[in-house]
Amino acid sequence: MRIAVTGGKGGTGKSTVAINLAWELSKKFNVVLVDADVECPNDHILLSKKLENPREEYIFRPKFNYKKCIRCSLCVKNCSENAIVMFKEGYPFLMPTLCSGCKTCQLVCPSDAIEDDRKHIGNTYVTPVNERLTLVTGMLKEGEERSYPLVISTKKRANELNYDIIIYDTSAGTGNHVAAAIENAQLAVVVTEPTPLGLHDLKMILKLLEKEGKKGYAVINRYNIIDEMPELNGIEVLEKIPLSERVLESYIKGRPLSSIFPESEESRIFSEMANKLVELIWQK
Amino acid sequence: MAEIVVASGKGGVGKSTVSSSLSVLLKDKNIGIVDADAEAPNLHIIFDLNKWDEEIEYKNKSLAVIDYGKCDNCLKCEDACVYEAIYHNERVRIKEYLCEGCGACKVVCPRKAIEIKSGLLSGWIRISSTPYGPFVTSELDVGQPNSGKLVTEEKNIARGWIREGRAKNLIVDSAAGIGCQVIASMSGATHAILVAEPTESSLSDLSRAYNLAVHFRVKPYIVINKSNINPGFNGINVFARENGLEIIGEIPYDREVPRSMAYRRPLVIFSPKSISSRALMEISENVKKFLD
Repeated sequence: MRIAVTGGKGGTGKSTVAINLAWELSKKFNVVLVDADVECPNDHILLSKKLENPREEYIFRPKFNYKKCIRCSLCVKNCSENAIVMFKEGYPFLMPTLCSGCKTCQLVCPSDAIEDDRKHIGNTYVTPVNERLTLVTGMLKEGEERSYPLVISTKKRANELNYDIIIYDTSAGTGNHVAAAIENAQLAVVVTEPTPLGLHDLKMILKLLEKEGKKGYAVINRYNIIDEMPELNGIEVLEKIPLSERVLESYIKGRPLSSIFPESEESRIFSEMANKLVELIWQK
Repeated sequence: MAEIVVASGKGGVGKSTVSSSLSVLLKDKNIGIVDADAEAPNLHIIFDLNKWDEEIEYKNKSLAVIDYGKCDNCLKCEDACVYEAIYHNERVRIKEYLCEGCGACKVVCPRKAIEIKSGLLSGWIRISSTPYGPFVTSELDVGQPNSGKLVTEEKNIARGWIREGRAKNLIVDSAAGIGCQVIASMSGATHAILVAEPTESSLSDLSRAYNLAVHFRVKPYIVINKSNINPGFNGINVFARENGLEIIGEIPYDREVPRSMAYRRPLVIFSPKSISSRALMEISENVKKFLD
């Protein structure tokens, strides 16, 4: 089973939902939680874990062999990022920050003059959380512009593991890095807050889900911070979570709700959410 | 002239609340306002803007298109695509939302069945004005790459206001994260207001945003939001002290903040006497010191 947790707006509670959901599901299943918010990963902090098993991740970068280069300039002309410029003498030169690692230059080079080099874009980590829950985290190198390739590396690292259920916790936003993170999911949990800002971004993420042909179920977080619930325009609501001292304390202490407040209303919400999701996927 | 970027790393810590209220409080300083979160733009909601003086179509999308009359399903394109934007069921297909139009597939296709279409619509830039200064926002079509380039376009428009004398200073409300949009926001900025809340996750993201600011030679300051939600935690203060950063204000948790959003008004207009507004007024006084 493959579930995405996303939301559009930042700080709506994606990670809170993702770690609690993963924790509940790990009581019955082997779960891999993928922290695909590679720009600012926080799931390990919310689970009080130090990241383990680092692996450096790389993308392709061209290296010019000037002995073989015939100065045809095809690499320059075919670089869609304009990352290759030409020296006066007609030799190509790379502007590394612009390069996206697409390999088109190497593919188009008629004289085999472009060799494999690589660029470090960040790390992935595999951290055991409990017997049935493993966290896979992507951490983008600071200053690196493109988070998308590392999201792909993080997903690949997660796929090396065995699991019954995989949960993808995405970053804020609605761009290609989020699209890549939710791609393999069968359905998406869309965490939002009951403000016009939350709902605006909820609509954007639902548009993305529609493009990818997936169904989203809303979780309204901190539903009690507003006196009147705004119109949800027919979005199916899976659960509502209150802003409460217990949720805050669980967040601050870095412990899932049911591990510190097992009898609480809030942990019941998460266990119910987990059950509903399993049922929804089985129905499919 | 100052270009102040409001960033945080972590989402939902109060960037837009700070940006919108500072824009109001610094009105006399001839502010231009930039919403630099093209993937989840929200600032226009706080200013209750829904009509635009100008809407510019952003046409920067390139996309591979397969001619199925020529394609023989050899799948060489699928292997060549490092973005994993090509897959096949009965036949090979392009995932339009992931394709960056790099052209690798076109190069490897032995049947010349792939063309790269460019200049396709990938977003919108919208210009308006608030009672506090000119305003620009943008929206990247969902799933698209390069939100940072869209933010750069917005900033070029805003820098135009400065050249034309319509604004003297800019407030740039950046996106969450530390990727291309935040890099575009930081690039060329003079000051960064880094908003954090007193939690370990916010501290972790703050330090990443701080490193970016240092990298781009932007002078960073810290604002602690929801400052009273975690009384035992002083990690933000320690971080500020260790890195020689000034904390220019602390905003306590206040239910007036979400209420002001529900009513689509900047906090300091909606609830000027609230504890959070008073904290923002103090912050704006501190910001004025580096505006002159």
